[in-house]
Amino acid sequence: MREGAARRPRSHRGRPFSAAGAWALRLGLFVFCAFPLYWMVVSSLKVSHELLAAPPTLVPHEWDLRAYRKLFLETNFWTYFQNTVIVAVITTVIVIVAGVIGAYALTRYAFPGRTLVARLTLLAYMFPPIIMLVPLFLLAREFGLTNSLLGLALTYISFALPYALWILRAFFQSIPIELEHAALVDGANRAQALAYVVMPLALPGIIATAIFTFIVAWNDFLFALVLIGKDDLKTLAIGINDFFHMAVVDWGLIMAAGVMVTIPALVFFIAVQRYLIAGWGAGGLKG
Amino acid sequence: MWRRRREALIGMGLLLPSAALVLAFTLFPVGYNVWLGFYAKHSLRATSAWVGLDNYAQILVDPDFWRSVWLATVYAVASTALQIVAGVAGALILHRRFPGCDFLRGVALFPYMIPTIIAVFVWRWLMNDLYGVIPYALGALAIPGMPEAWLTHSTIMWVLVVLSVWTFFPFVLVNVLARLQTIPPELYDAARVDGASPVGQFFNVTLPQLRNVLLIVLLLRGIWMFTKFDVPWLLGFGGGAGEAIRTLPVFTYQRSFTYYQAGMGAALSNVMLALLLMAVTLYFVAFPPEADENDA
Repeated sequence: MREGAARRPRSHRGRPFSAAGAWALRLGLFVFCAFPLYWMVVSSLKVSHELLAAPPTLVPHEWDLRAYRKLFLETNFWTYFQNTVIVAVITTVIVIVAGVIGAYALTRYAFPGRTLVARLTLLAYMFPPIIMLVPLFLLAREFGLTNSLLGLALTYISFALPYALWILRAFFQSIPIELEHAALVDGANRAQALAYVVMPLALPGIIATAIFTFIVAWNDFLFALVLIGKDDLKTLAIGINDFFHMAVVDWGLIMAAGVMVTIPALVFFIAVQRYLIAGWGAGGLKG
Repeated sequence: MWRRRREALIGMGLLLPSAALVLAFTLFPVGYNVWLGFYAKHSLRATSAWVGLDNYAQILVDPDFWRSVWLATVYAVASTALQIVAGVAGALILHRRFPGCDFLRGVALFPYMIPTIIAVFVWRWLMNDLYGVIPYALGALAIPGMPEAWLTHSTIMWVLVVLSVWTFFPFVLVNVLARLQTIPPELYDAARVDGASPVGQFFNVTLPQLRNVLLIVLLLRGIWMFTKFDVPWLLGFGGGAGEAIRTLPVFTYQRSFTYYQAGMGAALSNVMLALLLMAVTLYFVAFPPEADENDA
């Protein structure tokens, strides 16, 4: 064996491009991803006449919080925000409790039809929400669940739960069953093995799944559009959509709303990035 | 024997809550939808009448339906292909570590994390016919034949595709990056010893290793782009220039909630469901899944 071959630095692809070229590509990726977000922020901070100026200014000459004052004082933004949090929390709690128990059963107990259930879950994971638009709307009307935050949360279960089951099943499968056997041999009972061996290992996966479920509910536009008509029950997606139908479209206001919705998502995202990376390995994205 | 039966009962008992919820909220509505497709039903009033296959017969001769299928296909094919190109390129850029690598990985994922409605409205503003910064910048380049306004009938599909690639390419990036990290470096060493150029290494080592993940990503993104409602709807609101991006999901929504033809809307959803099942079946025939590792 030739020395050095195995410990060569991880230059997987030789030198495909010079260092400058690599940095140019990185910069290109950065601008492509970040510029629209930058533009949203600066547009929300410009005074009205500068917002519509030609040529557009890359950095505002005059900074102004007018759009934010209007957002909080003249619109129901705060109500929409609270409603969205309520719906997303209800959805996430139900989905995670049922999903964790169900995924554990699917990976740790042998019973007839288990493979079939797993396959159906995969299929349901692929279901696009639009397929369930008409039946869920008619059923919600039938049961008096239109104009209800609970009704909205229940419709999100229809696509969030199969999705959570599918990801959680992958997480539980990746935890070696031998660890549990070892705990049982050492005299632990099944509940103790679950609490002290499986759960700590599964926790990153459960948190990642909870985040994805929360995002599914947080981002939905379709079901809120057809199920919620009352202004004080609207979620952010349809509330912000209404800004577009005002007599004069106030782009500053819409961009300010965008910033205010994005900041919590950004903070949340940075706080839990570690867990999200765990989730990506298991194919935990949808939409 | 007794122990195994007890195991099975506990397992089924634990599965019961989620199985009941999936049955009630996912499978039952899908079944109900199949049944609704045979009815002429108003979305708000209680009137409904059995019409057999009439809805489907009407769909098949409706030029607007075929147009929406065509537009959805164009949208799905163009946006999925570009997402995969952008996602693989992004993953290759972020694969090797460099100063600021983690920061850029976070930034690259962000378009996927912000709500769809914000993504669409930011792009409507970026591309605004009067005040948009991108049309202004493109106009400054003075390329002959470049349109002055982009949210028009003839160009709005391009905006829809670019905006969708921006929003959804991180999905491809994440999945490809996760797979890239697991390719053994020895494969590249071997290829280098054989004298493969960087481009040759990409096609002979990287791409074959990425084959499975790319096939899954292609299936999922293809299905989800074909059935995407909110992005085309919010970009065009179904009317005006939006007519040029009235894809099958938008058409389905309008049948159900603009014309209140719930039965017709259900039938259109069933067409999408049938296409989805066909795609999944074809996929699993072409690429049979490996045996379930936990099955006894």
